[in-house]
Amino acid sequence: MALDFSIILRFQEALLLGLWMTVKLTLICIVLGCSLGFFIGLARTSRSALLRAVSSVYVEFFRGTPVLVQLFWIFFCLPLILGVELSNLTSGVIALTLYMGAITSETFRASLKSIGPEQLDACVALGLPRRVQVTNVILPQAVLRAVPTLLSNCVSLFKESALVSAVGMADLMFVGQNISNNTARPIEVLTVVALIYFLIAFPLTRAVTLVERRVLTKLAI
Amino acid sequence: MTMSFSAPLVKIQSLHKSYGPHIQVLKGLDIEMKPGERVVVIGPSGGGKSTLLRVMMGLEKIDSGSIRFGGKPYISSESADKKTEIDTEVRRSIGMVFQHYTLFPHLSVIQNLILAPCKVRGEAKASATKRAQALLERFGLGAKANAYPAQLSGGQKQRVAIARALMLDPKLMLFDEVTSALDPELVAEVEQVILQLAAQDMPMMIVTHDMWFAKNIASRVIFCAGGVVVEDGPPEQVLGAPKEERTKDFIDRVFHIRH
Repeated sequence: MALDFSIILRFQEALLLGLWMTVKLTLICIVLGCSLGFFIGLARTSRSALLRAVSSVYVEFFRGTPVLVQLFWIFFCLPLILGVELSNLTSGVIALTLYMGAITSETFRASLKSIGPEQLDACVALGLPRRVQVTNVILPQAVLRAVPTLLSNCVSLFKESALVSAVGMADLMFVGQNISNNTARPIEVLTVVALIYFLIAFPLTRAVTLVERRVLTKLAI
Repeated sequence: MTMSFSAPLVKIQSLHKSYGPHIQVLKGLDIEMKPGERVVVIGPSGGGKSTLLRVMMGLEKIDSGSIRFGGKPYISSESADKKTEIDTEVRRSIGMVFQHYTLFPHLSVIQNLILAPCKVRGEAKASATKRAQALLERFGLGAKANAYPAQLSGGQKQRVAIARALMLDPKLMLFDEVTSALDPELVAEVEQVILQLAAQDMPMMIVTHDMWFAKNIASRVIFCAGGVVVEDGPPEQVLGAPKEERTKDFIDRVFHIRH
């Protein structure tokens, strides 16, 4: 069978719409997931045993189960429990945000832990109030240290987002599968879909290296 | 702070400190320091020197005893619940420099210097920056104001740390083995800065293993071992002709041949 990539041009618009859905979903879940992850990271290092226990159960559960299972559970089971209909997008956002929250909370927890006690000694020796210690010394360092791993987490999320096609969300993967089924040209269509994912994910992984080299080396943190 | 000339700047009484139930580091320390004195604390590792400085900076809780500063109660643990009471206002008149610089790596040199004055005292950024720049010039670091700590040598980092502590106009400076982590060729530049401060009568307490420096800067030397003061006197006595056998042993080992 001769390969004919020109058929892709006929479905350009549909693929772009699918890509837009993938990018939109990823960006929404990055913002919501990172915010959730930051607070869960704090909760896991909290003095309150209850907060630590609840956040640990959440993180371990979402890290220990397949994203596809989580997605199916939220798509099929959550509406039954809550008694409300959830749109594909809402289910996708909830599932991927909870997944992103769990993995980024570990990133934030590790970066908070990596700030040595001597930094706090210096804060005390300078008489800095607790609020200043947190906002001007601990937080900025924790966020900067977390950046490379957070970027990797974002790349993972972007790739994992393809799973939402399994619950019928019209993302890039879903559109690609449909075109492939309708044209009986899986090689051309799925190769192009893979290339589109790669062209977005690859610069992001390069950005991780760049940030590590430029920012973190300059600050040595 | 007002105080009569003869009143001690620091009065440490019966200071006890332990880490856990088995490791007692300070076993009843009594030290009086007069204004303008430069006290060098020497002694074997684990003898309680660094702990003493950390306690004085309010970084460690104590088991019992008290410290008065400038005639005011500063740290005590004499109540029934054994809680360490620290007067944070008094603490602000003490500055400390650590062995490992402890600069804030995400802030530039000038930002490191002005953070505390702006946030603690509410000083305007422009005025703090002006003072910081002047201090950096004085320590030969004028060109490094916008550099980040990672771009500095160990000696430069330590000089920045000293400048940062001085920005709060401390009445007493504590130096905890500030040259121990430095390459030998960088030690002198840091010691010169401390000698410069000494020439301006800045009261200081220094923990060091560098006996040459101790001899040059001290107005008084305290030999601390096993959590107590073993010998306390002028440098010529403690470093040159110690009276106590334990001091003599230590000095002999450090100098090899006593001079």
